[in-house]
Amino acid sequence: MNARPVNVSLPKKASVVIVGGGIQGLCCAFYLTTFGLRDVVVLDAGYWQGGASGRNGTLIRPGFGGPEWTELFKLSCDEWSQLSRKLGENVMFTKRGYSMIAERAETAAMLGRAAGVHRDLGVHSYFVPQADLPHHLPAINHRRVAATLHLPDGGVAPHHAAMKGLRAACERNGVQVFYRTAVTAFERTGGRASAVYAGEHRIDAGSVVIAGGGHNLKLADLAGIRLDGYSMRIEAMALEPIRPLIKPALALIDSLAYFHQTSRGEVVGGTEVPERPRMSLSTDLPVMAATAKVYLEMFPQLAEVRVLRHWAGMIHVSSDFGPLLGEHPDLKDLWVSAGWSYGFAGAPGAGLLLAKAIATGEVDRRMQPFAVDRFDRGKPVAEAGIVLAKN
Amino acid sequence: MPSRSDDRQMVEFHWNGHPLLGRLGEPIAVALRRQGIGVIARSRKLHRPLGQSGSYIAGVLARVDGRPNVRLDLEPVGQGMRVEAQNVWPSARFDLLKAAQLLPAKAIYGGFEHADWTPQGGRGYHLWERLMAHLAGMSPPPLPSLPSEIRPGRRVQYDTVVVGGGPAGRHAANEAAAHGRKVAVVTRGHICGRYAAACGVEQEAIDDRVAVFTGMELFGSYRQGALLVGAPHRYDQGAVAFDTQEIVLATGRRSIPPLVPGSHVPGVMEAQAALVMAHEHGVAPGTAVAVVGSGAQAAIATRLTAFGANIVHVGDVADLTRINGRVHVNSIDVGATVICDAVVHAGPWHRDPNLIFQTQSDGLLQLVSTGASGNLRVAGAAEEADEDVVVPANLSDDVLICPCMDVTAGELLMHIDAGETDPEVLKRLTSCGMGPCQGFPCWDSMIAVLASRTGQHPAEFARPSHRAPRRAITVAQAAGLHDVVGPDR
Repeated sequence: MNARPVNVSLPKKASVVIVGGGIQGLCCAFYLTTFGLRDVVVLDAGYWQGGASGRNGTLIRPGFGGPEWTELFKLSCDEWSQLSRKLGENVMFTKRGYSMIAERAETAAMLGRAAGVHRDLGVHSYFVPQADLPHHLPAINHRRVAATLHLPDGGVAPHHAAMKGLRAACERNGVQVFYRTAVTAFERTGGRASAVYAGEHRIDAGSVVIAGGGHNLKLADLAGIRLDGYSMRIEAMALEPIRPLIKPALALIDSLAYFHQTSRGEVVGGTEVPERPRMSLSTDLPVMAATAKVYLEMFPQLAEVRVLRHWAGMIHVSSDFGPLLGEHPDLKDLWVSAGWSYGFAGAPGAGLLLAKAIATGEVDRRMQPFAVDRFDRGKPVAEAGIVLAKN
Repeated sequence: MPSRSDDRQMVEFHWNGHPLLGRLGEPIAVALRRQGIGVIARSRKLHRPLGQSGSYIAGVLARVDGRPNVRLDLEPVGQGMRVEAQNVWPSARFDLLKAAQLLPAKAIYGGFEHADWTPQGGRGYHLWERLMAHLAGMSPPPLPSLPSEIRPGRRVQYDTVVVGGGPAGRHAANEAAAHGRKVAVVTRGHICGRYAAACGVEQEAIDDRVAVFTGMELFGSYRQGALLVGAPHRYDQGAVAFDTQEIVLATGRRSIPPLVPGSHVPGVMEAQAALVMAHEHGVAPGTAVAVVGSGAQAAIATRLTAFGANIVHVGDVADLTRINGRVHVNSIDVGATVICDAVVHAGPWHRDPNLIFQTQSDGLLQLVSTGASGNLRVAGAAEEADEDVVVPANLSDDVLICPCMDVTAGELLMHIDAGETDPEVLKRLTSCGMGPCQGFPCWDSMIAVLASRTGQHPAEFARPSHRAPRRAITVAQAAGLHDVVGPDR
């Protein structure tokens, strides 16, 4: 249905073929053009903004609990703040600030350690004194808050604006982007990835990038490589619009919740409910109920606001929840940007580093900890400052 | 007009600070109409006047006693109630936002919350975003003094859940009960079968063994239809999760608004909504009513006449070319100009696809209806095929396809003509269907426009994903389901 006829105007050759037209794929494509590459092709089996890039919470923050994540996401947050200018398109990023909230003493202590990491790495963050909380978050249930670590350089960018800006800039720079065009096979020649197939159509590739979000494991199977991790559904919901009540973006580490109030007035976010990981775009009731319970407890004023819409998306998470970023150790010229659970926030930074590595061969220090083979080497990246249910 | 509610107690309530009288228990929208007030709400962006249409919930949302986005077509009038129009600034009496009506529709194509004419990044954008959030939010948050306790939900088990309490629903429920099944009927009305009653249709009594849930919106079908969830309209009651083996959808069909300029103007009403209002409250949609439709217009007009309405025109919806009037209907063009202050549309009829889509859709790249019946059965009028929506050959850019989000035919055509023919993408580019109605009837109109422009059949396009809960449940009610339904392991 609505499928673009395969083989129409698909090129026969490209310096880089990116499989996945979400925010990872488009960011990588855009930064490749800034390194002078022009014949970049992006292929996506779904529709534009149909994957997790169009379904996520759109939260962006520079700081986490550990140095590896913080360095990568600081770079990405810096890129976000310049992205509108670089793209020549408004991605509507606003530095409304991002608050990490602890409800338990041990989580507050973790935030204290995170603040130390932020200080060391030049990320601006500070604890909001309890006395200032009524000013910082007037509507929050203050009694539930043990500590608030605020990152003023964090914020949000609506995905429709970000995806629209990225696609427009990519196409202006010569990138060919094809949606509803599924990659059906990868060709390997002499130990390297040499081409991809969309049906019968072969595209000769200098390099191939797998950036398929929730579909990465299926793509890895097609390419005959192994990727760590598993795929799972994540759900989020939006409340009916009201005038501004919550200013910063929020992560409630203990309630496993993240949300913000959009410029449309909708409170958008979700909670993590431990469930058997599954691939589905259908929603289930427990996440809506759990998210509502967190809203009710933390923002009692939302009690009688109505839930407008509740949806699901899929991600591929790695064993340590960190991204898998770099060339695959078993297949030359096959690169991956996978395993993302904070992919929207991390995309510009990851896209920049990956593009640089592909275009120049230089693997940046900040992406090295996230190398694809880190689990084989016994080097997972521990990160405490994320909101994800350990299933 | 004759009225059954004349003996009801009169109460005083306030509309934008003005004291008004209403009959205790009648919907606020009806009480307002009795007073000649048809403009209840304003569209988000261009501030177009909206009223009770029976099609678009945005037209009946207002603030009641400090609670935002209350449906005035459902909320009963109570003594001393304070009802206020939303999306006004600084006040309803002196509303500067009305100036937005002066903007041409083109000015907000992809604009407002999209990026086309907003400042890029930096402080300018920051301030712009604050302004935008204020405008888009429509209403201030609920008063902090409102109740904030959890509304405990419950989980019940029925062999068969019938959605809709009209003749088909009653019949299906009684039949299942006669076969020894445990049956529930869920209806959004305060009583079952309101439309059939308004039409004068004889309805069988519901079997005593059938449990009846009135005043409840059944909004969600989860786990391939094994779990249905409904929430009562009343804020102080909890939601209900139904475990069931069989779903019977007997939700009937609704009329799709005509694709002509002015179809959103207060005074234009869907036939069911107009008939039920006339029957139950003795209130006609206007003093001079035109009825257009796809075949049922004469029958509907006869019924409205029986309730005392003054019908000035009955005709085919395809002959309607324009509805004139800015804040209320003044006349219609049907070849000749007919003076009237209300238009009732009775067709083309479509069924609300929401619950069917939720039950039957699947897919990892896009939720698409699989057509599999599973445990779901459709009964009554909902079983009949959707009728074709008439798209005029010279479709006007000004036709409002999605009044909730101010999406015009012109904005859709701009994207379609630029080559974007994917309904999911059109939805994201324009926000069409992302307001309180969540895609019905506006996606039916959007797909009709898309099909007409591309020369394809509407059935060739996959609908965007219909999602629960379509604003049918509050945060406090949803939280009350937390301990009731655990993860599906």
